[in-house]
Amino acid sequence: MNGFFFPLGIGAGEIGLVTAVLIGFGFGFVLERAGFGRADKLAAQFYLHDMTVFKVMFTAIVTAMLGLVVAGELGLANVAELSRAIASETFLWPMLAGGFLLGMGFIISGYCPGTSVVATASGHLDGVMTVAGVVAGSLIYGEIQPAAAAFHTSGARGSLYLYELAGVPAWVVALAVTAMAIGLFFGAEKVEKIFRAKRAVSAERPEDVRAERRTMRRAFGTLGAAAAMMLTAAALPVSATTAPAKTAEPIAAHALAARLLDEPWNLRVLDVRDREACAEARVPGAECVPADDLAGLGLRYAAGARDLAIVGGEDESVPAEALAYPGKVYRLDGGFAAWKAYALTAPEIPEADAGADAREDYKLRAAIHAALTGAAAAAPPPAPAQVYVPSAPKKKAGGCS
Amino acid sequence: MTTQTKFWNPYLAGLALGAVLLASFLVAGHGLGASGASYRLGVTALDAIAPAHVAANEYMAGVKEHGLRDWLVFEVLGVFLGGVVAAYTAGRLRPGVIKGAGVSTGRRLAFALGGGVLMGIAARLARGCTSGQALSGGAVLSAGSWIFMLMVFAGGYALAYFVRRQWR
Repeated sequence: MNGFFFPLGIGAGEIGLVTAVLIGFGFGFVLERAGFGRADKLAAQFYLHDMTVFKVMFTAIVTAMLGLVVAGELGLANVAELSRAIASETFLWPMLAGGFLLGMGFIISGYCPGTSVVATASGHLDGVMTVAGVVAGSLIYGEIQPAAAAFHTSGARGSLYLYELAGVPAWVVALAVTAMAIGLFFGAEKVEKIFRAKRAVSAERPEDVRAERRTMRRAFGTLGAAAAMMLTAAALPVSATTAPAKTAEPIAAHALAARLLDEPWNLRVLDVRDREACAEARVPGAECVPADDLAGLGLRYAAGARDLAIVGGEDESVPAEALAYPGKVYRLDGGFAAWKAYALTAPEIPEADAGADAREDYKLRAAIHAALTGAAAAAPPPAPAQVYVPSAPKKKAGGCS
Repeated sequence: MTTQTKFWNPYLAGLALGAVLLASFLVAGHGLGASGASYRLGVTALDAIAPAHVAANEYMAGVKEHGLRDWLVFEVLGVFLGGVVAAYTAGRLRPGVIKGAGVSTGRRLAFALGGGVLMGIAARLARGCTSGQALSGGAVLSAGSWIFMLMVFAGGYALAYFVRRQWR
C-alpha cells in the first residue's frame, strides 16, 4: 500500500483488532448521540417529519468521500486499492433485491443491523430482538445459499465506481454528490417543516386526519415515482455497459503480411477453416483450429499479451470463443481467399513509369511472395525508372589554382 | 440519570460519523460494518451445536477460518461499548421498549424480530447492510452500494404506510 497512511486493520493481528474496537467505539458513540438508538427516531425518516437519518448519513458519506479524495490527491492514500478493500464488487440483481428487502426490514423493525446494536446498548428490548433477528436471518440465508447462489452472483459488474460509469475523475463525481447532498438537505428541511405542522394540526382536529391521509398518499406516490426514476437512471448506464460488445477488428491481407514479417512474435494466427483446407494452404505460422475446437484452447484464460488474428473461410464471422480472448482480436478481411490473392500470387511488375508508392508496394509483395511461396528467387526487380534529372552546372573551382 | 442530553445536531453528528468513517478507511483500510459480524456470530454458535451441518455448507464453512477473530466482530464489539458509554453519559441507558401507543409490547417485539430476520437475509444477499454497503461503499462511490442505498429508501417508503401504527 502506497501513501502516508498505512492500514493497521486488515487481517486478524492484535493491533488490527484493537483498532477495530476503537473505531467501532467511535461509530457506536456517534450513532447513539445522533439519536439512532431509538426506533421511533429512525422510523421517522420514512414518515418525513424527522429526516435525521438522511441528514446524518449523507453528511457522513460526503465527509468521508471528500476526505478520501483529498487524501488521494495529496498522495497520502492509494484510493483505488482502498476502494477495492472497502466496497464489495457490484452484483446488480442481488443488490437491488437485497436493498429493497433490507429497507422493508428497516421500517418493520425500526432499526438497521448497526443501529440495533446501539439500541441494545441503550437497554432497548426491541433492539435486542432485532439483533437476534439479524443473526437468525443471516443463518437462514446461509441455509438457502446453495439454492440462491446463482441469484447471489447475478448481474456481476466487478469493482465498479460511479466515476467509471460517468467517465470522469473521481473528484468531479465527489463534487457532484456534495452539491446534490446540499440541495437535498435544503429540501429535507422544507419537507420536515411541512409534515411537522401537519402532525400538530391533525392531532387536534379529526377532520384534518382525512386531509393528512391525502397528503400522505400524495407524498408517498411522489416518493415512489422519484425512487423509480432514480432506479431507472441508476440501472440504465449500468446495463449499457453490461456487454462490452467486443468485435474483431478487420485486418487487410497486406497488413497481416507486413506484421508477420516484421514482428511474428507479437501475433498468434488461428485458422478456423476445416482442417483439410487449412492443411492444404494456410497463412505461415497459423495453427489449424476449426471453430468448433476453439474452446479447447482456453483463449478466454490466456494472458492476452499477443494479438490474435483469425483466418476464416467465406464465412467472416468470428467465433465467440475467440472474442473472449483478453487481448486484441483481428479478423483477416476477406478470409483466406484474400490472403491467397495477395500473398500467394506473384505480383505483377509495375510499369516503368509507376510512382514510388507502387514500386515500394511491388518490392514488398515480391518479398512476401518469395518468402511465403519458397520461390528460389524473388521476382525480378523492376527496371529503374528513367527520370531525367538535369545535372547541376559545374562549379568553377575557386581559390588558388 | 434524570436529565437527558439532547441529541446532537444531525449535520454535526454526520460530520463526526464521517470523521470516524474516514479514520476507519485510512487507519484500518476497512469500512464500517455490522451485519457481517452477526453472520459470524450465528455461524459460530451453530458450529458449536451442529458442527457437521456447518461443515457441509460451503458458504458457512468459509466463516470458520478465523471465526470470531475477525475485524468486523471486534468493530461491532466497539459499537456496543461506544453505545453503552454514550447512552449512559447522556442519561439514556434505561431498559424499555421503543414503540408508539397504538401497538402492544408483544406485537412490537415480534415486529422487531421479524424485521431483523428480513434484514439478516437481505444483508447476506446484498453483501452488506446500511453500514457496510450504503455508508462505507457509498463513500467510495461504489456503483452497487448506491443502487443498494436507493433501494433501502425505496423499500422503507414502500412499506412505511402499512406499519405506521407501530409508531403512533
